[in-house]
Amino acid sequence: MRHRGLDTDGIAPYLFLTPLLVLLVLFILYPVGMNFYSSFTQWKGYGPQKWIGLANYGTMVQDQSFWASIVNTGLFILYIPIGTVFTLVVAALLREGIRGWKTYRAVLYIPNLLGYVVMGVIFSIYLRDDGALNAIIRAISGSPIHFLIDPFLAVNSIGFILVVWLHLGFGIIYFLAAMNGIDRSIYEAAIIDGAGFWKTLVGVTVPSIRFAVEFFIVFNFIEVFARMFSFIYTLTQGGPGYSTFTLEYGIFDQGFQKFHVGYAGAWSTVLFLFCAVISVVQIRLMHRRDA
Amino acid sequence: MKKSSPFGPVGRIAVQTFLVLLVAASLLPLYNVVTSSLKSIDEFATNPILLPQVVVWDNYQYAAFAGKLLQFTINSMIFVPGAVLLYLVVCILAGYAFGKMRFALRLPLFLLVLFLSIFPQLLLATQVFKLVSLMHLTNTGWGVVLTWVTYFAPFGTYIMTTYFADMPYELVEAARIDGAGPTRILTSIMVPLAKPMTATIAIIGFQSMWNELPFSLLVLQTQEQRTLTVGIAMMRGEFGLRVPILSAALVIAMAVPMLMFFLFQRQITLGVTAGAVKG
Repeated sequence: MRHRGLDTDGIAPYLFLTPLLVLLVLFILYPVGMNFYSSFTQWKGYGPQKWIGLANYGTMVQDQSFWASIVNTGLFILYIPIGTVFTLVVAALLREGIRGWKTYRAVLYIPNLLGYVVMGVIFSIYLRDDGALNAIIRAISGSPIHFLIDPFLAVNSIGFILVVWLHLGFGIIYFLAAMNGIDRSIYEAAIIDGAGFWKTLVGVTVPSIRFAVEFFIVFNFIEVFARMFSFIYTLTQGGPGYSTFTLEYGIFDQGFQKFHVGYAGAWSTVLFLFCAVISVVQIRLMHRRDA
Repeated sequence: MKKSSPFGPVGRIAVQTFLVLLVAASLLPLYNVVTSSLKSIDEFATNPILLPQVVVWDNYQYAAFAGKLLQFTINSMIFVPGAVLLYLVVCILAGYAFGKMRFALRLPLFLLVLFLSIFPQLLLATQVFKLVSLMHLTNTGWGVVLTWVTYFAPFGTYIMTTYFADMPYELVEAARIDGAGPTRILTSIMVPLAKPMTATIAIIGFQSMWNELPFSLLVLQTQEQRTLTVGIAMMRGEFGLRVPILSAALVIAMAVPMLMFFLFQRQITLGVTAGAVKG
């Protein structure tokens, strides 16, 4: 039994935690704090740091690339429900014992395995005007689609590929595992009641794996706000113009390409706030499940 | 007993067709990369999508040697396993402390670790870059190893914590009565029992670090030190680099993750679900 009053393990747990905590303070907490400080300064990342109060924030709210980043992020969020529903449907289909379902599951997981850098470069070749996809499209319709040149298509291509397409394999494995935990008799009862595929999915499967669905949605929010940089860097480099900018990409652009590190700090504050909210939502979700 | 299914015969065919098309669409970009890598530059200009008429290996030779992909692969093969070892030590120690030990700050520290687990690299990059150069670790393996371990350890710690927390507490108690200290309990009882989950987080850690870009890009600035992932990202930006050569580079970069997948599919599948689906 755990409740033993004041009986503790003394200093040992703190010693066991020291490596992790030292690293976290050094490479995560301290950087977050220093970013916040430098957001009130003019600084090139080296040399003198001049206090300028809220000026960086003033510049930021008038910066078109900042608002473009916010709008793009909002657009990517719109792809999250689409991706979640699509993934759920494919997982539910595979659950029906379709022949070869393990092979489908494995093949669809490959993009997750290769990571955003390799997938970003692959799609940069695949979606070009003279690339393979356009060779097919040209054969059908006669003219190519400018996936990476047209600003609207570029940002939507990223949204669709990253949120819906690349996570499919991950989501399928994840949902199938959750569906495995559902009591078989509930399904049998549904079939006896004459419920078809869609009715079973909406009425039985999704309510039974609600936590998994919620986690998947939170996971997608984390991807959109905090994990997209590598994909954008290799696919569009934020362009054309800043039509595929995100907060992450803007911080990279201002901080590491233009050396406006103080200004990038202001963007970082905004990104930090978004991520902090997502992190708290995730923790609450974990707590609710474990409780 | 026959498995009951909501689909009739027509429905089953429709579902199979849909899934085959889905998989084909998913494989098409990969097929494109593999076939392009085997075409001469002249052939690629006129035949961007069909199978190569003449298979050439020159692109691989160019990517591996002139493009230094071989060097980058070796770098990744040294840095990533080294980092995984350190990551396992950090995650097991912390996971055991959070999962099975009693101390006053257990909950607040655990919440802090969870809270810090999602911040993007770019949010930390400027200061991490400064710290790494203050420690004289720019362009060194240690520089990336420390930043990778820090960045990925919160998630690994979380998984190890839930795993240790689910073990029966009687194991610890019995060992204590026998006079074993916390370090002995951890190394001689808990670590052997945690082998399956350790293997899982080792694979997750390996994949995450192998594919990591932002920190690697900032810490490893000389070409000789680049990881495979940085090498690929930089190659894409190289002006005038031909698609068949870039494709060959991509195939080389895909080799290790694909091999891992065939060897450790079970752990990878477990890793996907370990994070959140529980009970």
